[in-house]
Amino acid sequence: MKSIKSRMMLTSLVVLVGFMILTVIALERAVEKRMLQAEEDKLQALMYSVLAAVDRDATGLSITVSDTRLFEGALFNPDSGLYAVLYDVKEEIWRSLSYEGEFDKPDDLVPEELRFSQLEFENRSWFQLAFSIRWPNVHDKLSLYELVLWKNADDYFAQFERFRQTLWLWLVITIAFLLVLMWLVMLWGLRPLRLIGEEVQAIENHQKQRFDSNYPTEIKPLTQNLNLLLQREQHQMQRYRNALDDLAHSLKTPLAVLRGLTEKTGEWSEDDTHTLHEQNNRMNQIVSYQLQKAATVGGESMAKPIKLTDLLDKTVKALRKVYKSKGLSIELKSDLTASLRMDESDLMEILGNLIDNACKYGKLNVRINAFQQQDKMVLRIEDDGAGLKPEQLNNILTRGIRLDQTQEGQGIGLAVVNDIVDAYDISMKFAISDLGGLKVILEFKNI
Amino acid sequence: MRAIVIEDDQDINQQIVSRLKQEGFAVDSADNGVDGLYLMQEFPCDVAIVDLGLPEMSGMDVIKKIRADGSDLPILILTARGRWQDKVEGLDAGADDYLVKPFHQEELMARIRVLIRRAAGWSDSTLQCGPVVLDPSTQRVTLSEQEIELTAYEYKVIEYLMVHAGEVVSKSVLTEHLYDDEGDRDSNVIEVFIRRLRQKLDPDDSLQPIETLRGRGYRFTLEPAKVN
Repeated sequence: MKSIKSRMMLTSLVVLVGFMILTVIALERAVEKRMLQAEEDKLQALMYSVLAAVDRDATGLSITVSDTRLFEGALFNPDSGLYAVLYDVKEEIWRSLSYEGEFDKPDDLVPEELRFSQLEFENRSWFQLAFSIRWPNVHDKLSLYELVLWKNADDYFAQFERFRQTLWLWLVITIAFLLVLMWLVMLWGLRPLRLIGEEVQAIENHQKQRFDSNYPTEIKPLTQNLNLLLQREQHQMQRYRNALDDLAHSLKTPLAVLRGLTEKTGEWSEDDTHTLHEQNNRMNQIVSYQLQKAATVGGESMAKPIKLTDLLDKTVKALRKVYKSKGLSIELKSDLTASLRMDESDLMEILGNLIDNACKYGKLNVRINAFQQQDKMVLRIEDDGAGLKPEQLNNILTRGIRLDQTQEGQGIGLAVVNDIVDAYDISMKFAISDLGGLKVILEFKNI
Repeated sequence: MRAIVIEDDQDINQQIVSRLKQEGFAVDSADNGVDGLYLMQEFPCDVAIVDLGLPEMSGMDVIKKIRADGSDLPILILTARGRWQDKVEGLDAGADDYLVKPFHQEELMARIRVLIRRAAGWSDSTLQCGPVVLDPSTQRVTLSEQEIELTAYEYKVIEYLMVHAGEVVSKSVLTEHLYDDEGDRDSNVIEVFIRRLRQKLDPDDSLQPIETLRGRGYRFTLEPAKVN
């Protein structure tokens, strides 16, 4: 369960459905009890009206119900479902005109007990209200009688069933409505998180510098701190680069002065001049290499996507200018459209060094090819210079990197390129070009 | 030839200026971008050497400004920042070549000569017009493979005329490209140099390499062997 939304939806669903079902069951119980009570009350009222119609019979020894004093019409209609029966201790002594069936006499009725019960009889449900009464005969002797009312419960159950159906229908509707509502609330509530995602992407793409949407108070501390972090990182990067530039300037200018001094003819012996040049060169190369290395940004996460083709065009245009008088032809063919995520200055460093090397060592032709191969971009830089022997290809890099052993005239370009290529996990291979010189093959991963 | 050096480090500035003078250039120099731009705008010159990290106005801005003014003066940038982004941006802004500090004075001179020749349409390292050949790196001039002895100023005059072979060069332009300071300038001296050059290059008056256009200046008449 990876998304907050699905987690919250699942929890709400379980809680909501559980709560609603319990509520509906409780409600159902309460209503059932209330309806039964109403049925009992109705039968009781009828019981009293029938009791009001009880009188001594003709003999005066027993009692009967006088039909003329009964007002409940259903008691006169056969099969109306409402019946009244009067028993003495042994047998039935009166029944309402509606009554045609044969119900059992209720058992174990305690004298003067009023008992309401629900029974099954002949596959139908009935309510029964039984009352045991004492009634005096002419001799003022009390005899025990039982008055029993039967009422068919089919209507009641049908009504209760209708109520239950309505109740469950509304339950389902309510749950559905609440779930939709919760979904909307969640969308609304989680919107700031989605917005953060979008802004992070915009910042990655350098379309934005900071989080500037209006975030709710709970998230504001987060975005504010991220903004501070971003700002600090940008400043730090700039300060760092400036510091490196200053360092380069302040180290290299004295080196340039020293070199100028050593070139004054007649002041030094030839051997001294050579040693001074060599040491000056070494200092310069170490300074350059370490500065370049320190300036390499590396990584890919926050870099702006750049088009390799654009930088190739720019670099080749600049180098054509520089090598114009050499009569060199630099052929550039690129059909790349994809971008890659790299610091522009790092990419420029790779292209500048490699193409410059090709121009330097090439005699007449330099060929640059950039193309897409499956999911990577391939860049080939070839020249028609003297090239390298196959066994030299393998240690071309280590030679450049081990600065303490470099000879005068060996540039630090390749070593710098190698560091950048490592930092970005770009593949760099060397081969012999069919032009005769060196062929460098770079493979960049697409974004 | 006249060069402008814009470099804020006094030692390097001094080294470049003295080396250029040694090579026969007339040199103006500035130690900040604003003064440098003023020199480039106000005085005719053949090449400019501009450091990128300058006070008051960066070298990049100086180059952009001078290019925006429509100048096609050859410019070489000096930079301590070895990063390619800076080099490419400098070249993109209008510089013609770059050199990373520290550099060999020899290399700087060689690049400057290439830039000057290239700007005048020459592609070879030596200038050749008919039987006259001038090698800027050795500052030697030969006529039909016989070396001609020239004084420093005579050399400066013929170098300028040959670089601009076929073009009319006025006396004042020639003066400006030869002398460091205003005080030295005397246009009569130019006439003396021209007369001496004619005697040395054309003793029997058959080549007539330098033509005088009355009221307009001089023209080197021999066909230059330019490639383009």
